[in-house]
Amino acid sequence: MNGPSDFIFYAAAALTVGSAILVATLPNIIYAAVALLFAFAGVAGLYVFLSADFLAATQVLVYVGGILVLILFAVFLSNRLADVKISNPGHFHLPAAAVCLVLFGVLSYTAVSTPFAVKTAVYLPTTADIGEMLMTRYLLPFEVASVLLLAALIGAALLSRPERGTPEKADMEEGRG
Amino acid sequence: MFLGNLGSLRYFLPEIAVTATILLLVVLHVASNRRTSAAPALLSLLGVGTAILLVGVSPAGGGKSIFEGMAAYDGFAVFFKGLTSLATVVVILMSMDSTELAGRSQAEYYIFLLATLLGMFLLSSATDIVMVYLSLELVSIPSYLLAGYLKGKEDSVEAAMKYVVYGATASGVMIYGFSLLFGLTGSTQIAEIGRSLVAGKATLPMLLAAVMAAVGFGYKIAAVPFHMWSPDVYEGAPTPATAFFSIGPKAAGFAVLVRFYYTVFASPTPGTGIWHLTTSVDWPLLFAVLSALTMTVGNLVAVKQNNVKRLLAYSSIAHAGYMLMGFVLLSSAGIEAILFYLVVYLFMNLGAFYVVVLVGNGTKGEDIADFSGLGSRAPFAAVSLAVFLFALTGIPPFSGFIGKLYLFAEVIHRGVYWLAVVAALNSVVSLYYYARIVKVMFLEEPKDTAALPVPAVTRAMLVLLVAPTLILGVYWEPVARIASNSVKMLAF
Repeated sequence: MNGPSDFIFYAAAALTVGSAILVATLPNIIYAAVALLFAFAGVAGLYVFLSADFLAATQVLVYVGGILVLILFAVFLSNRLADVKISNPGHFHLPAAAVCLVLFGVLSYTAVSTPFAVKTAVYLPTTADIGEMLMTRYLLPFEVASVLLLAALIGAALLSRPERGTPEKADMEEGRG
Repeated sequence: MFLGNLGSLRYFLPEIAVTATILLLVVLHVASNRRTSAAPALLSLLGVGTAILLVGVSPAGGGKSIFEGMAAYDGFAVFFKGLTSLATVVVILMSMDSTELAGRSQAEYYIFLLATLLGMFLLSSATDIVMVYLSLELVSIPSYLLAGYLKGKEDSVEAAMKYVVYGATASGVMIYGFSLLFGLTGSTQIAEIGRSLVAGKATLPMLLAAVMAAVGFGYKIAAVPFHMWSPDVYEGAPTPATAFFSIGPKAAGFAVLVRFYYTVFASPTPGTGIWHLTTSVDWPLLFAVLSALTMTVGNLVAVKQNNVKRLLAYSSIAHAGYMLMGFVLLSSAGIEAILFYLVVYLFMNLGAFYVVVLVGNGTKGEDIADFSGLGSRAPFAAVSLAVFLFALTGIPPFSGFIGKLYLFAEVIHRGVYWLAVVAALNSVVSLYYYARIVKVMFLEEPKDTAALPVPAVTRAMLVLLVAPTLILGVYWEPVARIASNSVKMLAF
């Protein structure tokens, strides 16, 4: 695989990594969220290269389209959050950088030096296979994930419910609503 | 070889009972107008009680791989299902007694509690790394919500926040390790991964995978150096939730730790009850060092604490260190010792937290000073707490001593003398801070002389926790036999 496809791969990889670095370093949370958009889009591009068409589409629909919009909503709606520069206070820059560099060295050396079994990409539709797997081999994880999401959903509702006065009064208000 | 999805259901009844209870709680929550009623608590008791019953009558003949190889049905998993649901029952009763939670919406609390329980069931039986990760999250995410349940209380919010940040990082590192294993072997089944790794020569990625998985599991059992979250979380969370964290997720963490490492990086030598390493990765040494660090840091820092919940947090870190000793020995007797210790630890630790809840209800405080004169204000609770604390120290004739005896005996039997010496020194240190609470309770004048009321039901609960703590100190054979049978049926 050479020529244009290689170029596109490296472009997608650079987009992913570059945007991810921006997410971590930008002090303004809105900018960071927008950078996250590009990181997600880059990952979708990588999925295409892995011949995972369904995953790439899901990545765009769910992460770029859904989760990111939710993050932005959360930032916009919590009025204090948009102004406060909460990310990255300037502590421990040097030790953190040293640890990260060592970790990066070890991980990338491992990734390059290990003879991973490489499968050549076959560009065939995967959606039907994924659907069947979810209903057969991966049925248990699929169902467990639904319980997890239910618990998370209830938790989100609980956390976002505004603080009220006495509990009894709160109950009456909710009853009316 | 694997049971299909439909055929697995009859080995999955406790999980189904817990899931059904969660769904009923949701319906109850939506349908009912009274958010603070005791109905959710009673319903959860019924649900978990049913689950215990179903665990008790679960079909014999373990060693089955169910749900297309996603989970195992064996004595080991059944043991942990029984243990964690028993802990949950005690925690539900404790929560009903606690004034911290009174006046808040109840249903969500029990939904999170039961979702965590379901996660612990699955974590102790998971045999596929997809399932391991998913059930770890099912334990973690509702736990974050439990820690932050006291909305508007700064400590509680801080606890939840720290828990989320540490938890997300730990599981992120763990799943990176899993991805290395998948890359090396092309399988997500831990048994399959174990078989493929035997032939492999790629030492560095295997070592990385072993270390990275240790981060995720170590975080769940609160082993040093992945313990940073636990003191703040234990202090800020509602006390019954703290009690729950100190035994439930910790036990499930040990279950997955044993199953994962003993399957992926080791293999049993038939007929000897000893495992041997299948790769060049010396993870027992890694965990032996972690074990020594965990108990030492836990005990030394506990000495300086003035908040009882924080003190018990560090004490629970130290106990995780003791139990890790059994994990590094690569022998079935070592695992038996862990299982036995977990049973003993369940009673003594939940008991200690129960008294903390009672004192917290009465004095609105959790500092050691709030316990002063408890011996005259609430003699029954004070004597119970003293029993629990001495048991935690590991003094005969209490059950904690027998638990430690099993661990120490096996450590010495396997010849890891330095670890036994470290553990013995640590036990001495722990006596200091446990005895300090006892001293404050009985020898210091109370700040407030009014008697602390202990309702009859609570008294009965304390008796039910004190009794095993005492009885297991003199007659422990049945529990030891159950532990031994559970390990024999550890199948993959």
